[in-house]
Amino acid sequence: MRTLFNTIFILGLLVLAIFPPAAHADYSNLSVPQVKYKGGQPNPHPTAVGSLLGQVARRTSIEVNREPLQIKLSDPNLYRYPFLYLAGNEKFESFSQDELHRLRNYLSFGGFLLIDDNSAKANSKFDTSVREMINELFPQVPLQKISRDHSIFRSFYLINRVMGRMQINPYLEGINIKGRTVLIYSTNDFGGAWARDNLGQWTHDIIGGGSRQRQLTIRLGVNIIMYALTLDYKKDMVHLPIILERLRRSHSQ
Amino acid sequence: MNILIEWFGLDPEQYNEVAMNLAAKDLSPVWIIVLVLAPLALWFFWTSLKRIQSPARKIFLIALRALTFVVLVFMLLKPELEFKKSHTLKNNIAVLLDDTKSMSIKTFPSEIPRIDFVRQTFEKNRDVLESLKKNFQVDYYFASNQIEPTSLAELKNRYRPKKTNTDIENTFSQLSKRYEGKSLQGVMLFSDGADLTTESETISPEILALLVDWQGPVHTFQAGSNAMFKDLAIEELESADFGFIHQPVRLTVTISASNMGNKNIPLVLKEGDTILLSRIVEVREGQNQYPVEMEFTPGALGKRIYSLTVPHFAGESVATNNSRDFQVKVIRDRIRVLHLNGRPAWDSRFLREVLANHPKVDLLSFFILRTMGDDVASPTSELSLIPFPTNLLFSDYLNSFDLIVFQNFSYEPFIDKKYLRNIHDYVKQGGAFMMVGGELSFQGGGYEGTGIEEILPVQLERTSQPFIGESFHLKRGKNLLRHPILQLEKESSANTKAWQALPELNGINAGLKPRKNAHVLASFDKGNKNYPVLVAGHVGEGRSLVMATDSSWNWNFRRVGEGGSGRYYYKFWNNLIAWLTDDPETRLLKLEADKERYEEGEDVLLRVRVLQEDYNPSVGTEVKLMIKSREGEATSETVKTDDNGEAALQWTPMQEGFYTAKVKVEVNGEKREAEIGFSVFSETAEFQKPKVNETLLKRIAEVSGGTYEVLTEKTDLSAIKFANPKVEVKTHSKSVSLWDNWWTYCLVLTFLFLDWFTRRKSGLS
Repeated sequence: MRTLFNTIFILGLLVLAIFPPAAHADYSNLSVPQVKYKGGQPNPHPTAVGSLLGQVARRTSIEVNREPLQIKLSDPNLYRYPFLYLAGNEKFESFSQDELHRLRNYLSFGGFLLIDDNSAKANSKFDTSVREMINELFPQVPLQKISRDHSIFRSFYLINRVMGRMQINPYLEGINIKGRTVLIYSTNDFGGAWARDNLGQWTHDIIGGGSRQRQLTIRLGVNIIMYALTLDYKKDMVHLPIILERLRRSHSQ
Repeated sequence: MNILIEWFGLDPEQYNEVAMNLAAKDLSPVWIIVLVLAPLALWFFWTSLKRIQSPARKIFLIALRALTFVVLVFMLLKPELEFKKSHTLKNNIAVLLDDTKSMSIKTFPSEIPRIDFVRQTFEKNRDVLESLKKNFQVDYYFASNQIEPTSLAELKNRYRPKKTNTDIENTFSQLSKRYEGKSLQGVMLFSDGADLTTESETISPEILALLVDWQGPVHTFQAGSNAMFKDLAIEELESADFGFIHQPVRLTVTISASNMGNKNIPLVLKEGDTILLSRIVEVREGQNQYPVEMEFTPGALGKRIYSLTVPHFAGESVATNNSRDFQVKVIRDRIRVLHLNGRPAWDSRFLREVLANHPKVDLLSFFILRTMGDDVASPTSELSLIPFPTNLLFSDYLNSFDLIVFQNFSYEPFIDKKYLRNIHDYVKQGGAFMMVGGELSFQGGGYEGTGIEEILPVQLERTSQPFIGESFHLKRGKNLLRHPILQLEKESSANTKAWQALPELNGINAGLKPRKNAHVLASFDKGNKNYPVLVAGHVGEGRSLVMATDSSWNWNFRRVGEGGSGRYYYKFWNNLIAWLTDDPETRLLKLEADKERYEEGEDVLLRVRVLQEDYNPSVGTEVKLMIKSREGEATSETVKTDDNGEAALQWTPMQEGFYTAKVKVEVNGEKREAEIGFSVFSETAEFQKPKVNETLLKRIAEVSGGTYEVLTEKTDLSAIKFANPKVEVKTHSKSVSLWDNWWTYCLVLTFLFLDWFTRRKSGLS
């Protein structure tokens, strides 16, 4: 009986892995679909997003839909999800012009894209593909380092370091359109730090900084999601005195 | 002379004078001939006569040549006789009588108004003035900032202190133009010299220039004096014509005090009977002017009339300058919106973008980023979260907001229930409230039985499932298609298309029952059940609105994905904001006056626009217009609206003061009222600088060579003298040329012929 149960369970997991559910969700709750693309490995840490959303639900008032979603840029339901996650660790095929056009519109009119290099290598093939893709996406707007006073670093947690599973670069890069950051690119393998297995254990060790580094990476993930949902809310005047005081104390310690 | 006139063939009765004029303009050729050419020619000619022995013949010849030159010079001078008719004119004297309001000020201790000194003087010196007419043309003028002709006979009935502005420079300037080319031999000015345009102790260069140009003197007669002049006045008041609601308006005031002793005087700012501000001014002997800076904060929109007053003390010369009324048009600088979000979500994120990008909105938003059950896994010092300032928002600063938005927001545990009652009162008193749907709104937020439910345009029913995850398209209320909230496009069919193009919504708050007078602007039908989604209503003086879904962001982002734009999403929310904040264009009953303020005696035009609930014109509706002053009803009239739902009333106020125009209509059983205030001002600027300006009157007399005198009961004008040179004026004339005729030419030829003949007889060529 136990063998039968295990067999059904394993088969179920296989079905889920081979045929991930189509994009659909409760639109009131936050869903973060992962962008599907050709070539490379679009989903090296399949549980990373779900794990992060779990942390978001646990730590914040945001209601989430943790069901893993994958979506193509050509999917007609793309605009139901204003937040997209694009991850990988290998070179991937360029998007078609139509897909790029859709993504450009998506980002220009309210969407948000988080790109995560999971290779944990500097100048990886994924990194090359991402930069080529962004050059085609916004040829007039280059990727720029995100400054430390950006709302991303104070949207929920006060953060002064950019971490990941491995700190390749101590900064995030991003694209700004009309005062809003619409795309963030991390080379530090956020997904590797977020991912857990089915038993709730971290799937990857942190390289360099231990559990504190993992916590900071989770915090950064929470902040990025919070930024996408509240934009520069934390730059409103009403917040500034307290935030600045806390930052001042943090620096003086 | 008559013989000469007749000799030239003219009528002696038409002309009484003859004069000889030289028509030649340039006399240099004449002088050249007389001084150079003639003596030279005569000398050469004399030498050519050597061969003539007879002295008599020589003298005869030289005389002929000399006579020829004389006639030539005569011709070059072009003499002519002018026959003319002329008569002698009288010289002019202008008498200026100040008839401005300041002339009504009494002089102490006699308590005689200044103008009465002038009247007395004219009465006493009537014979002198009559006799002056024998030798002069005496013209009388009322003088203020302009001159108005009058006559001695009219003075008794017409001379009143009623004009509102003394401007002596302008008066003199007009007088100067009036007598241009005429002989003005003098001016008599009867005035208190209280010129509003001139600082005391000074005289403007322009007046000086005019006086220098005039031939005659200006005799100044001062009406009244500053002796024992006791007055407390609001001399100057500077304020902006418009201000912003809840923003300070600055007033710069100058208080003047004469002979008031040492007193602490309250300067009070009022709106109607409500005291807004009071300031103590320390009045001390020896100081006449006291600058005061004041600031007040208007709390209501519209044309507000304020009064600034100082007390009126016994024995003051002028009572009217102790109070000054002014009007400030209070407008919104920004629409202040408080936006509370129960949790970060896409609906709140996109609505925040609308509010933050609205050019008129000043946004204060709060997101509940964590709940009590959340584990942030961090000390507070590493969080950016701030305490929710409940007391400040819902007690201290509640009335500073124009609109409060609860979006998917459950008030517990963030807001104490007592503050919900504050919001209830705030809306009843004219505020605006909107609840946007979601799981935490309405029943999900625990609002049943609270003050918030009372102000919502829907009642919260018990339901097992307060939030339903349905997808649906909105259906607009049939009778409310012209409601301003639903106008995505101006034209009706384009508007319908715009609504049809909007993507479906997902998720709806159930268990909402529209209140009796609420407007269900849009709803969703499922089977036999109707779910109100967009419901608007009036609550007391305020407005309230419900948007029972948390997916309106579909109309923005998802619409873009379908190939459209977020334009209608922005338009929709901007319409909501306009309606909630009582934008004038969204009112069903509109009452307007055509001007900001009226002068006394000026017509007031009031316009009314009446719309039905569906915002179509209410045609043929009876409109009752009432105008009240502080003393009581001034007028009342009932008119009917035209095809555009408009009506008008023209009315002339009989006296200055504050008026309230109120309009009452009943449309389909619904009673509506609107009210505006307006004011009718009697110009009192003359009393802001009421003191007699001795310096000005003295200097005018001194510069022009006239005399200065303070009018008393004994003033005698017989000593006043004016030059009276003879002034002749010709009515017509005729000129006759003395050189341009055959006689002159023949005379020259005769002299030349005799010269030639005599020379031939004498053997010369």
